[in-house]
Amino acid sequence: MNPTVPARGLAALAVVAALAAATPALAALGERAASVDADRAALGATRRTFAVRQAFQVERLVTPANTVREYVTPSGVVFAVTWQGVSRPDLGVVLGAYAGPYVAEIDARGPSRGRRARRVEVQGAIVETWGHMRALHGRAWVPALLPAGVSVDELR
Amino acid sequence: MSSARIAILVAAAGALACGSKGSSHPGFQVAQGDNVMPVSVAGVHCGSSPYVNEPCVAVTVCQPGTTSCVTVENVLLDTGSFGLRLFAQALGGLSLPPVTVGQGEVATCVQFADGTSDWGPVRMADVKLANEPPVTVPIHVIDATFGTVPSSCTTPETGPSAQNGMSNGILGIGAFVEDCGPACADTTNPQNLGAGLYYAVNGSQTVGAAVPLASQVQNPAALLPTDGNGLIVALPSVPASGATSVEGWLVLGIGTRSNNAVASATAMALDGSGAFTTTVSGGAAQGGSFADTGSNGLFFDAPTAIAPCAAPDQGWYCPASPLSFSARNEPSAGLPGAPVTVPFQIANVEALSSRGAVFSNVGGGSVQGAGFDWGLPFYLGRTVYLGFYGRTSPLGTGPAIAY
Repeated sequence: MNPTVPARGLAALAVVAALAAATPALAALGERAASVDADRAALGATRRTFAVRQAFQVERLVTPANTVREYVTPSGVVFAVTWQGVSRPDLGVVLGAYAGPYVAEIDARGPSRGRRARRVEVQGAIVETWGHMRALHGRAWVPALLPAGVSVDELR
Repeated sequence: MSSARIAILVAAAGALACGSKGSSHPGFQVAQGDNVMPVSVAGVHCGSSPYVNEPCVAVTVCQPGTTSCVTVENVLLDTGSFGLRLFAQALGGLSLPPVTVGQGEVATCVQFADGTSDWGPVRMADVKLANEPPVTVPIHVIDATFGTVPSSCTTPETGPSAQNGMSNGILGIGAFVEDCGPACADTTNPQNLGAGLYYAVNGSQTVGAAVPLASQVQNPAALLPTDGNGLIVALPSVPASGATSVEGWLVLGIGTRSNNAVASATAMALDGSGAFTTTVSGGAAQGGSFADTGSNGLFFDAPTAIAPCAAPDQGWYCPASPLSFSARNEPSAGLPGAPVTVPFQIANVEALSSRGAVFSNVGGGSVQGAGFDWGLPFYLGRTVYLGFYGRTSPLGTGPAIAY
């Protein structure tokens, strides 16, 4: 279930283990949509809301560094986030409670520098990252929260 | 570590096998000159433990304006990034001056798509490529002990390791000049200074900082006085059974000298992220596709599922017998250039990797929407021209690619 592999693996580092602890519970994924405003403030982003279809609403948070989209169910829960830009958004903000376990998993796996994509599953969430310098992409979602009839491939 | 297995098999094979060297392809002839740099794939510049399809070069770095220099071997040649990044350990005692902004010394965190990072200060250096005149340019000294690593810089590398082929760093010579560009120079958004890539370090304090383009880490090949408009990667072909190593060339400049004219090649413009569109026969068009010497396979979402290798190598394809594909590459919407058909094969990497370290026919899956990653196998047996952003060459104004 974890297609990674490749070429290089490196010793994991403890330096970043503090990330989860240092980030307050602002985060969006899996949380109430009210957290989108907290995320907007935390990211210093401008916000635009637009409904894509009845099954969910999209909140777009734009900064010079990246564009983050948060996908919200009709009942007001963020079930997915995507991003693209020159850098990742602060994972603590967009992944919330999943950020710590995600970083711990990356620490454990180490780099895979011959590859430009990786999929990680942590605690019921799936995080996919891909791209290269100047064009980094990511997508995270909680399959159990996906509204009926919505495919993750619709989340762009 | 899931990645180790194939790399280790290969290292053993490289040491023991008497396997074939790569053979030349028609037209694989590079006239030597001051603008020609040797490139090893799992070969002499890669040290003793290369991984599959690892392209390596040697780079000379000097204290600016002096003859105090270090030649660093085993540096990854990477058209998927921009700028020179070397582990502090590889620089010996070389003392490189810092780059500063108002708040302190400039440092950078480069994030990779695998979730890991490289952290460290930006320093000025004279970088010598081939026998070109030295280029004075900001480089990234990779050093996870420098200042306080910001929390956004997850899993920073600490140094060369056996698992990464003992690589001393990355020479990023892709189609763009700066590693970030205007987003990191932007001063209008106080919460996003440095866009998550650039920081100012003052003692133990690390803060995001806007950094002007001229102080960002830059692709040294794009700053060459005569040959800064682009480059050519020319690597020999290998048989379907692979090779233990091959030696090829990086030629600096396009159409600037007698040895870098464009022979027969089809050019297309690249989009703002260096990408084009790939359609694998029977599949959907995949925007965001790119050619990248720093990827060690052909990574793509196959139209029909291909059997993955057994764990821990399940990110690679291991079909029972080699599969043949045809792909069409075309420019992103609205950009000039002609489509090109690229045939390729996917063979069983585990079966092959006991025989060598260089393969034109290995690959693996990707994530949906990631585009086709034309890694090092694409370059074997081809002469690939890359025109730099904003520079004019026989390919037109860059970014552009031709092959």
